[in-house]
Amino acid sequence: MRHRDRVAMALAREEPDRCPMQISFTPEFAERLRADLGVRGMLNVARGGEHNPHGGGNTYELERAIDSDLILSSVGWANNYYAGHDTYTDEWGVTWKEHPYETPFGTGHYTEMVGFPLAQDDALDSYVPPDPTRPELYDDSERVIREYRDEYWVVGVTVTTIWETAWALRGYERLLMDLLTNPELADRILDIPFRYHLAAAERLAAMGVDMLWTGDDIGSQKGMLMSPDTWRRFLKPRMAELVSRVKAINPDLKIAYHTDGDVREVIGELIEIGIDILNPVQPACMDPAELKRDYGDELLFWGSIDEQKTLPFGTPEDVSAEIRRRVETIGAGGGLILGPTHHVQLDTPLENFWAMIDTIRETRYT
Amino acid sequence: MADLSALTAAVEAGDRKTAVDLTQEAIDAGVPPDEILDAMTVAMTEVGRKFACNEGVYVPEMLISAHAMKEASALLEPLLAASGVTPEYTAVIGTVQGDLHDIGKNLVGMMLKGANFEIVDLGTNVTPEAFAEATKEHGADIVGISALLTTTMVGMKAAVEAVRAVDPGAKILVGGAPVTDEFAEEIGADGFAKDAATAANVAQELLVA
Repeated sequence: MRHRDRVAMALAREEPDRCPMQISFTPEFAERLRADLGVRGMLNVARGGEHNPHGGGNTYELERAIDSDLILSSVGWANNYYAGHDTYTDEWGVTWKEHPYETPFGTGHYTEMVGFPLAQDDALDSYVPPDPTRPELYDDSERVIREYRDEYWVVGVTVTTIWETAWALRGYERLLMDLLTNPELADRILDIPFRYHLAAAERLAAMGVDMLWTGDDIGSQKGMLMSPDTWRRFLKPRMAELVSRVKAINPDLKIAYHTDGDVREVIGELIEIGIDILNPVQPACMDPAELKRDYGDELLFWGSIDEQKTLPFGTPEDVSAEIRRRVETIGAGGGLILGPTHHVQLDTPLENFWAMIDTIRETRYT
Repeated sequence: MADLSALTAAVEAGDRKTAVDLTQEAIDAGVPPDEILDAMTVAMTEVGRKFACNEGVYVPEMLISAHAMKEASALLEPLLAASGVTPEYTAVIGTVQGDLHDIGKNLVGMMLKGANFEIVDLGTNVTPEAFAEATKEHGADIVGISALLTTTMVGMKAAVEAVRAVDPGAKILVGGAPVTDEFAEEIGADGFAKDAATAANVAQELLVA
């Protein structure tokens, strides 16, 4: 079965031979996997061989070697994660700092935001955002569609669509407070990434991606980060506009929405504005089986493999058992793309990683 | 007569300007500063309760209340110091080594400050040695250690051990998205809280226990 047919079937709520999967990794985990697989060649030419977890510029050896069914190609601010070493400033003016962490498998690095170009109110008046119409931004997506779309399900990525890029420009706590104390300013800041990623999403839709991956982290471990009313005031209308404009270009395009955390308070409204797929379905705060029961007729799911406990700290048996449970519950009757709830990080033992891949490949629907 | 219930309401609503104005009015009217502070503490306790119980308070609401209290209580600090009123307890807080995420830790700090703790905020990426040193230097009653990431959470164990080595009596509280009750127990922490408001409650319970 072609990878893309497997995904198309699952998203049509049919049971393919096995549940489709999409797995992403941090750059260091990609290196470890590359060594384990003996994969040669560059993983991302533009980044000097370093892997981009969101798929911008990757050469996809690893994704193909592990039998992934989806290929991602990213255009947008999120490509600045893991985009440099030490301290660097991206084209939006956000300053990042590389930051080490230790694991039993070596030292990993995150890149974290440390400088925010719109921290001062008056900086907004002279701020010039990057231009989303530069043709070269889409070269990689064109190549991906050309080289892989016959076989794989191609996903155009414009995550950090509104909220996350906006707070990277303004600062997290500052923008959270602006929502209540300075809504006009918040609107102006939110519009900057919204306009950019809307343009990118429309372009990717017109180019022929199969699916669009949008999203912003609006949930925490215990519930919504902001109130549903605040979300309705600032984020829902913008997402609704994006969805309707992109679907006007291709009504068959599937739109996935990423948010960490427990967002049950607004899932019904995500469906209402036309979101097809929820990602990553963090099982440590939302029960995947319950979501399937409550929303499975209207919503598809992508993710659901726990990366807070099972993957880094569980045994290979725990990982396999969780995957079988997912296929039987949230994956029953199709409607699920399996994947970890975040890029696989360096703290995950390779045995657990392979237990995940092998169990997904071996667990048959029929 | 200064209206302390209006001050409580202003802090609860996150209305910074009104909170500052009412605080100044109360000071001018000769209300003892500790009574004025109590009016704000009551507000933050209620904000925390609503946050923990999902009663319409989310992170932005908590932040604006905490900032209203911070600005208003700044007017009181010299008066409190002059009258010899100091917070009963001191808490040293920080995000564990390797982790730069601080909103959870900041909210815990705000809630503890709202409960009238003296806060020593060590910031993010705090080494075990720095936790230990600050615990000793400030005579911390509570040490709060935060982590957002599975990769950095494991480093909490070393921080707990370092604090124990210098002060076996300090109460250590851990929290953050991947942290669980079992993990807290496993690394020898005294308490775990699932959110910032609960953290302030757990801290108080640990100290009276």
